[in-house]
Amino acid sequence: MNGPRIIFKIPLFGGIPVTETVVNCWIVMAVIIGVSIWLGSNLKIKPTTKRQLVAEKLVSMLYNLVEGVMGKKFIWFAPYIGALFSMSIFGSLSSLFGLRPYTADLSTTLSWAVLTSVMVWVFSIRESGFFGWLKGFAEPVPFILPINIIGEIANPISMSFRHFGNIAAGMVITNLVYGGLANLSKFVLGFIPNTFLNSIPIFQLGIPALLSIYFDLFGSFLQAYIICMLTMVNISNTSAD
Amino acid sequence: MDEFLSFVTIDVWTMIMTWGNLLILFLLMKKFLFGPVKKIMDERQKEIENNLTDAENAKTDAEGLKAEYEEKLKSAKIEADSILTAASRNALLKEEAILKEANEKAADILDKAEKQIAMEKKAALEGIKGEMSEIATSIAAKIIEKDINEKDHEELIEKFIDEIGDAS
Repeated sequence: MNGPRIIFKIPLFGGIPVTETVVNCWIVMAVIIGVSIWLGSNLKIKPTTKRQLVAEKLVSMLYNLVEGVMGKKFIWFAPYIGALFSMSIFGSLSSLFGLRPYTADLSTTLSWAVLTSVMVWVFSIRESGFFGWLKGFAEPVPFILPINIIGEIANPISMSFRHFGNIAAGMVITNLVYGGLANLSKFVLGFIPNTFLNSIPIFQLGIPALLSIYFDLFGSFLQAYIICMLTMVNISNTSAD
Repeated sequence: MDEFLSFVTIDVWTMIMTWGNLLILFLLMKKFLFGPVKKIMDERQKEIENNLTDAENAKTDAEGLKAEYEEKLKSAKIEADSILTAASRNALLKEEAILKEANEKAADILDKAEKQIAMEKKAALEGIKGEMSEIATSIAAKIIEKDINEKDHEELIEKFIDEIGDAS
């Protein structure tokens, strides 16, 4: 199983590799932004279109979620969570359209997790000052310091590997199942003395769809929800109240 | 010849581009979706609140006006009552005054009439008295054919007439 393919290289700094991950991300982004513009245009105070109702429902769900988890103080965070959620879920769902899901690349999920950690550190420092933040690692008792530091480092790692692992494993398992079913088809149909007929992978019809429902639809939604939840909880924990 | 990164890899360039992509997506989604939709929802919320406040104000105004009108109606009733009372009292007073005047006038007229009647009666009696004395004198003269002292006669006759008058 390969990692993301390098589509092309930007001839700078000895060649910046632009991988499938980044290109697929651009495609998904273009779709998301297109849908956003379509949903967010021509709004009226008295809504006349179903499109506006859908847009308002989505936005109010997002704001309610963020307010419920993070409180009123962090309500301005909602657009970031919305962007992260759409980026994650549509990235994972892009596998349904034959694209390699960019969330199955550790670099993607790690960069999101690191961003969350950086924001946690920034808000902590803003809340209690730089030394207050450092002192926080030695609380409640000083000898717990190494555990706290490990925990702080483990946080982005666990977050990124959870997301990456779920989507990548789904991708791998789906591929394995496709391959296995193709072999099974070949084995079952092998007695037919016709190279066209016995090459039809009949078992690939329908069976992988069940797996796809779990790994692509359910897993995508769940992982997007989890990474957003963790981001919100970690960031709102920096605030005392 | 396709080049691949390894399956589990941390590629710094990919991470940098992912950050950039997320930032761009965040900004664009905020500009095109979250911003406008949130704005229109807030505006609607504001409008609804304004409408509710307006309705509340209108209700308060209406209640105030109602109370005012009720008060006015009550005072108007009281005023009307007092006007009616005053008018009836005035009418009574006027009636009394008019009656009194009329009575007075009637009494006056009656009085005058009585006085006049008395005067006329007196005058008539005087006239009759004079005539009667003349007639009596002439009758007496004719009877006795003798002209006696007229003054004595007159006294005599008057006495006589008085007696007649008293008898009549």
